[in-house]
Amino acid sequence: MGEKTRVYADGSLDVRGESCPYPELYTLEALEAIGSGKVLEVITDCPQSFINIPESVRAHGHELLSEQRDGATRVYYIRAK
Amino acid sequence: MPTLAASFKQAYDRVFGRFWNATSVLVMAGVFAAFYFGLTGTLWAVTGEFTRWGGNALQLFGVDPSHWAYFQAIKLKGGPLDRTDGWLVLGMLWGSLCAALLSGNFKIRTPRQYRRWLWAFVGGLMAGFGTRLAMGCNLAAFFTGLPQFSLHAWLFIGGTALGTYIGVKLAVLPLFKGKPKLEFGVRPVAKRGPDRGTARWHLYAGAAGVVLLLVCIGWNVFDHRALMGLAALFGAAFGVLIQRGQICFTSGLRDLWLFGKGKMAKAILAGMAVQTVGTAVFIDKGVPPVIHWASVGSAIGGVMFGIGIVIAGGCETGWMYRLMEGQLQFAAVGAGNIVGATVLAYSWDHWGVYRTLVGGAPEVNLLHALGWTGGIVATFAFLAMLYALVVWREHTFHRRLAQRRVAVADEITA
Repeated sequence: MGEKTRVYADGSLDVRGESCPYPELYTLEALEAIGSGKVLEVITDCPQSFINIPESVRAHGHELLSEQRDGATRVYYIRAK
Repeated sequence: MPTLAASFKQAYDRVFGRFWNATSVLVMAGVFAAFYFGLTGTLWAVTGEFTRWGGNALQLFGVDPSHWAYFQAIKLKGGPLDRTDGWLVLGMLWGSLCAALLSGNFKIRTPRQYRRWLWAFVGGLMAGFGTRLAMGCNLAAFFTGLPQFSLHAWLFIGGTALGTYIGVKLAVLPLFKGKPKLEFGVRPVAKRGPDRGTARWHLYAGAAGVVLLLVCIGWNVFDHRALMGLAALFGAAFGVLIQRGQICFTSGLRDLWLFGKGKMAKAILAGMAVQTVGTAVFIDKGVPPVIHWASVGSAIGGVMFGIGIVIAGGCETGWMYRLMEGQLQFAAVGAGNIVGATVLAYSWDHWGVYRTLVGGAPEVNLLHALGWTGGIVATFAFLAMLYALVVWREHTFHRRLAQRRVAVADEITA
């Protein structure tokens, strides 16, 4: 990945160690706070949130850009509506 | 022609690579629960056994509670390994652990905020006390209780719905919610290599766990304790199912109130409907249904349970599989459950809980009270009503969300 194609996020939410509903709740609140069009990075390791975060993010009209898996941890990049 | 290794990998990905559909899992759990009842005459239940663990713990400290009225009612004999319920609970924990290891969901996690430990214990305590007041948790007074045609489950379900609603109102308050680690400001996205996947030793440990489980079941059967082996087998199956389907009754109700999501709640209702048919067949064959007091205690217990599970972050099935995934916070929920159940057992006769809240209440078997047709029709009508309520809640929540969106858009364009 060259410097030109480097992707940036506008904020980072680290909810490792938290269990539901907080990863999902914090994510939705952070997306409200970050402002329209900005990209939020969410780092989570609660397995249930792997189902809930993508679902809720879409239901609230945000855009899930990518999802990365690192062992039992996942990182989401979400563009706020 | 794919190689053996490739086919194996494909099968593995299908089973452990992703979560299982919640509805399929709960329908399967409903079928298994009906068969477990038919084969053993007891229910898929856990908190009665947790109460006995509390009793066993007291015995370790030289206090013998076996003469307490509550332990007379639920029987306290031997240790966990001498009881079918004990094998069922251990089987569930073990099954969840193996499933978590094999699917790469195992990781030791500790909450960053210390308040989580406190609320986990307090919520677990409330839930433990409430469930035993109602004679069952989200299993014996809910998922496996309603299909027994016992009216107490109706009261408990109503109480739990109300309790989780109150719980959600509490959980969003700053005292419970806390603050996440959130940073604003432009940053480059962390460069990550290809997905690391699951550590190899997790897979080996999971496979070894399955072998050990089979040895335990075989040993029980060989030792003429087929019932214990059966309990361990069913327990393990339930454990695998709840981990793979992420079956959490807390989230079923909480997410309905908090996020307007009814998928889990609908799946739970589907599992109960299937199970009702199964138990009706076994009851017709002569297995006596498990009926408890339809008392005001069942409703109050449901409310306490509902508040407790939301504050704690997990119901009985929820904390069991989460602890096995390595989420250590849920050890506090389990400990709270056992302490709460034991306090209830003490208060039963010593503080007059039975006399004031439970005693004198009838044990209503709907198949007797309303007849076979009436009992079955009433149970399905109740399930259909709950389903309609879930759909209605989803609908109103999303309509409100859409209205808010329109309002925001108007503000921007104005």
